[in-house]
Amino acid sequence: MYFSQCFGNHETIYMIRQYWWKILGVFLFTYVLIVGLLTPLKPGIYSVSHLTTSVGTTLPLDVQSYNTHYTKANKLRAWLKIDSIHILEASNIVVQSDNQLLVTLDIPAFLPNEQLTQAATLIIDNDYEGHSILPAAIFISKSKDTTNVALGHTLWSMSEMNNITHTKGFKFPYQNILNETSRNLFFHVAIWFAMFTLLIIALVYSIKYLMSSEMRYDIYASSLTSVAITFGIVGMLTGSFWAKYTWGQFWINDVKLNMSAVALLIYFAYWILRSSMKDQDQRAKVSAVYSVFAFAALIPLVFVIPRLTDSMHPGNGGNPAFSKDDLDNTMRFVFYPAIIGLILIGLWISSLSIRYEIIKETYYLRKAKKRTI
Amino acid sequence: MISSLNNRILKLFTITFALLLVANTQLAAQASEDFFHSIGKIYVVVAVIVITFIGICAYLFYLDRKITELEKKIK
Repeated sequence: MYFSQCFGNHETIYMIRQYWWKILGVFLFTYVLIVGLLTPLKPGIYSVSHLTTSVGTTLPLDVQSYNTHYTKANKLRAWLKIDSIHILEASNIVVQSDNQLLVTLDIPAFLPNEQLTQAATLIIDNDYEGHSILPAAIFISKSKDTTNVALGHTLWSMSEMNNITHTKGFKFPYQNILNETSRNLFFHVAIWFAMFTLLIIALVYSIKYLMSSEMRYDIYASSLTSVAITFGIVGMLTGSFWAKYTWGQFWINDVKLNMSAVALLIYFAYWILRSSMKDQDQRAKVSAVYSVFAFAALIPLVFVIPRLTDSMHPGNGGNPAFSKDDLDNTMRFVFYPAIIGLILIGLWISSLSIRYEIIKETYYLRKAKKRTI
Repeated sequence: MISSLNNRILKLFTITFALLLVANTQLAAQASEDFFHSIGKIYVVVAVIVITFIGICAYLFYLDRKITELEKKIK
């Protein structure tokens, strides 16, 4: 009775007490864990033995691949590709094991252009499981005097690449260097998306508080922001760990990383601000205003500035995000449920914090009332 | 006399064994990359999931402690 006197029988309180969306969140995240981890990757090329070669040589390329079964393949083909018209087919392919090939390439004596060095993409196709591509696998160099563009064009246009086998079944795309860690998309990236959504909801409640001065809006806003900051810390830690084994360091001097750290520090200050004030109304008002400013800073810091300049982090200036070939529909199938699942779990945790604050308020109000009665 | 000889042999054996062990691990580390690089870096994904889980659980522990303190106050 007293509870509803203080906080009303509001729609939000009713929703907080429901279980269905909490179970849905857990179900979605479990689905993400299972499908995200068990789905295999498409076949890919892990490494090649030679990074450079010169014109007019026979190149015995030792190829290490990932997730392949070359001993089961009937037809194996390999090409070096410069662009859509200049392709060189391998003269011989020897299967050394399920994951290893010896590809012999007879590099023509001339390049089809005037460059001194040309990067070539390696493509391997096997009829058992599909094709794999290693972009800029080999750099072909020539000396200044051996230039004959016309002859080079003829020599490089002799092979054809057709009837490429497509991989059957539900498999995630293979990515160079990342390999299996592309699955971190479902955890690291989804957590940041969930954090951002929680902060938007917190912003809405902060503004509602400023307009109406109802204490419950402050409780909702602070709980949501707290959980969002926790998600931000987790996102930072997971990103840092991921970077250690793909970029080589736990932290690099990069725009996106530094700006995200600044944004997170601004939100840490929100916590410190709240804990520094004793008076409830003052605390609520100041933190609501700070919350608006912090969110207004978050947008340009995390989204706008990194895109204006070069960054190692995917999705920012000079570095394409997981897109087109990288994030095809197979990964989206798990990525979107991951975001929704994490948002729901974040909402569940913040609902627990909200209920705690409400019970505390009710208890202290009741205690205060008892003195006057 | 005999026991001191035994002691010396035991010392020599232990030192040789330890040196071989260290040399072997170093050789192995040169030949293959460390644990997190193995099997296409799948363990990096495992570690990321563990960090996510522990991070969320840490906040839940904090909430739990707050609720326990309030329950004690109310009692």
